[in-house]
Amino acid sequence: MKKIIFIFFIPCLFIFQSCIEIIDDLTIHKDGSGVLKYTINLSASKVRVNSILALDSLDGAKVPSISEIKKKIALFKQTLALQKGITNVQITENYTDFIFKFECTFINVNLLQEGLQMSYSVISNDKSNVNSNFTWLYLDSKQLKRSVPELTTERLKKISQKDNELLKTGSYISITRFDHLIERFDNPLSKISKDKKALMLKTNIYSLKEKQSLLENTIYLISD
Amino acid sequence: MHLKYFTLFIFSLVFSLLFSQKSESLVPKDAVTVFSINNFKLLQKISLDDLISYEFMEEIHQELFDGSTSGKSLKEAGIDFDQKLNVFSGRLNDCEISGFSFGIKNKEQLFTVFDDFYPVSYPKINGIEVYGSFVNSLIIKNEVALLIRVEPLIEQVNKVADSIWYARGNEIPFNNEDLEEETILSEEIFDEERENLFPVASFDPNEKNYNELKDSVQLVLQNKKLANILDELFNQNINLIASNRLFEKQLTHPVEAVFFLDNARNLKEPNELWYLQTFFPDINKDIDGLYDGNFILGDLSIIDNKVEFNIEVLYNENLGSIYQELSNSSFDSKVLKYIPESSTAYFTSNMNLREAYEKAFEVIMPLLEKKNDSEMAINLLTAELLNEFVDKDALFGTCKGSLFGFFNGIKKIKIKKIEYVYDENFNYIPQSTDADEDMPIFTFGFSIDRTDIPEKVFKHLERSNLKIVNMGNYWRYDNAILDAAPLYMISKNGLFLFTNDEDLAINHSQGYGDKSISHSNIKKAMNSNLIYASVDVGTSLTLFPVDLLGAKENQLIESLRGKTGIIELKTTKAKKKNANMQLVYSDFSDDQTGKHLLDLINAIYVASK
Repeated sequence: MKKIIFIFFIPCLFIFQSCIEIIDDLTIHKDGSGVLKYTINLSASKVRVNSILALDSLDGAKVPSISEIKKKIALFKQTLALQKGITNVQITENYTDFIFKFECTFINVNLLQEGLQMSYSVISNDKSNVNSNFTWLYLDSKQLKRSVPELTTERLKKISQKDNELLKTGSYISITRFDHLIERFDNPLSKISKDKKALMLKTNIYSLKEKQSLLENTIYLISD
Repeated sequence: MHLKYFTLFIFSLVFSLLFSQKSESLVPKDAVTVFSINNFKLLQKISLDDLISYEFMEEIHQELFDGSTSGKSLKEAGIDFDQKLNVFSGRLNDCEISGFSFGIKNKEQLFTVFDDFYPVSYPKINGIEVYGSFVNSLIIKNEVALLIRVEPLIEQVNKVADSIWYARGNEIPFNNEDLEEETILSEEIFDEERENLFPVASFDPNEKNYNELKDSVQLVLQNKKLANILDELFNQNINLIASNRLFEKQLTHPVEAVFFLDNARNLKEPNELWYLQTFFPDINKDIDGLYDGNFILGDLSIIDNKVEFNIEVLYNENLGSIYQELSNSSFDSKVLKYIPESSTAYFTSNMNLREAYEKAFEVIMPLLEKKNDSEMAINLLTAELLNEFVDKDALFGTCKGSLFGFFNGIKKIKIKKIEYVYDENFNYIPQSTDADEDMPIFTFGFSIDRTDIPEKVFKHLERSNLKIVNMGNYWRYDNAILDAAPLYMISKNGLFLFTNDEDLAINHSQGYGDKSISHSNIKKAMNSNLIYASVDVGTSLTLFPVDLLGAKENQLIESLRGKTGIIELKTTKAKKKNANMQLVYSDFSDDQTGKHLLDLINAIYVASK
């Protein structure tokens, strides 16, 4: 029955504005270890996502089925869990509202970056990613530098012009938390939390595509 | 003396009229679809850039989209507007052909547009000049020209290339053991790993690798087919006019443009009826005869700022008998009160499915019974048993054949979305909120005698886990549309409706009354026997969702998007050997009649491809 309804009403789809919310939430402890949480919220676009999933292909590219997406996510989880210095890998998948949450703990930011890079290379079946510059975090005892991984900027550049309007409705929120108090930060778009231990940067995905430096920041911490 | 010169003049005139080659005589006999534009003068004002943006010119895009056309109109392209412009295409068993033929007024000007062509020698064909470019060929004979593209089908190229490759003792050319489907589809990865995916060039520069061999095979097949076509056209005078009297007759019609489609050959294309061709090739071959003589002929005329496309569908008596039964139905006028006046696009269709089924069974079964093989016998037995055991009264009482549908613009619907709410330390929790989304409103309905059958279905579905709720006057299926919007099902007055329009379900389950379509539109729908459709191009197609329709439907709608006017489709009752349809494109918001003619030609071209 649902399949028939899909066929009749699939044309309804295009009209919905696509809207994606990405939250990247990084916690850094005093010893350099931490927790990375990453949330992709497509609930405002669930109609469009559902409709796309009902297709075989879109713009010439194959549309994966939910079972294929689940397999990829499971592969990512398994691969990341095997990486040195990374533990407690958790992924929750909500295919009703299309909300995906990823969380892991790490010993230090270098191992986190290496682990993510390797896992991404495995799921994308692209060995060349292993050699690309995947460093977006530099941490020492007094400061944290954040940028956007080269891989992400390259991907963003490839998004076609026709999708720009859709990107403008999507938001990217980057949160960085510390055990330490924050002394100051370079990016004026950042907002500091009331307890002075977290920074938030919010932008839309279109702006990020146009100017990747929007998320760049150096955060200076108050030493104990 | 004067008489002698006068006689000579008359003789020369008659001779030139009789024997000079016209552009239409350069349409190859293999063309399946042809548009012949008689009133070419209408197009003089149209810029070349506009012209080549139409899909029917797509085959030559590469030739013309190189800046050479910039700012030029057709008038400056050296084209003779006193001759017809004939656009054709066709798919054969081994290749596809497409192109157009036209008259030439000024060859020098012509080559300012076709500036990438270089002379090619065809010694066996006298009296013609052949020019080639990367993919197309331009053939000029006296005052006429043919621009043609011949593309061998990839299956044919592979077949020949493989046979040569393996005959030379080579092994499998591709090393794709680790290649996953998504890798093939990813253009980026494909480009990056190209070198690993394909065979490397041999150390011997004289020995071709597989891809080089394939390119050579493609070129040879292309040249061979082109040489055949040119030989037929210029040595043997075999062309579509000589091969098909219907096309010849069609060209004599005093209208702006004519259309010709050999539907029997169109249906035999590899893309059509693929399921039947692949899984039941014998059945397909045997019912093939059913479509013999199936032609679609059309006249396009401009009358009082309207473009009229009068179509005649020709078929044989077997197919005609089925169509006659199909159209042997009285109009169910109840459907009309369910189409609101505000609807910008709607259709009604009136068919007698029961009689058409009985006739199709009667006509097709004997065709299939001629085959004497076990597989066919089982297929026929299955068909016979289904015919005996299925309760046809119940089946055709549920769906008799009167259908209708309409598009009623865009309305707001409520959906639930999750938002994250942040506290002062940027901790966040999810919160469900309402959101308004724009939803295109569609309704589909059909006449029904057996209203008890859907009632039974929904009664049991309601008891299962599906979100179907009996609302008294209608059934509501929650989140049926893409897990977000409800679908309403209404069974009233001998009609069954599916709609996503809540207003229709709640307030208009008895119809729209005096807010339904006007009396004149009701009359038009009732007079159009099989199908009537009306589309306000300006409002409907701008809003109509196309992104996720099939590629062909999408292309058809895109071809008319941004235009204005009303398109109406009317049909007559099917006769024994023919049926007629009329497509009228009217009420333009401007006076660019030539452009509207092209718009319609383009839409028809896209639909007939």
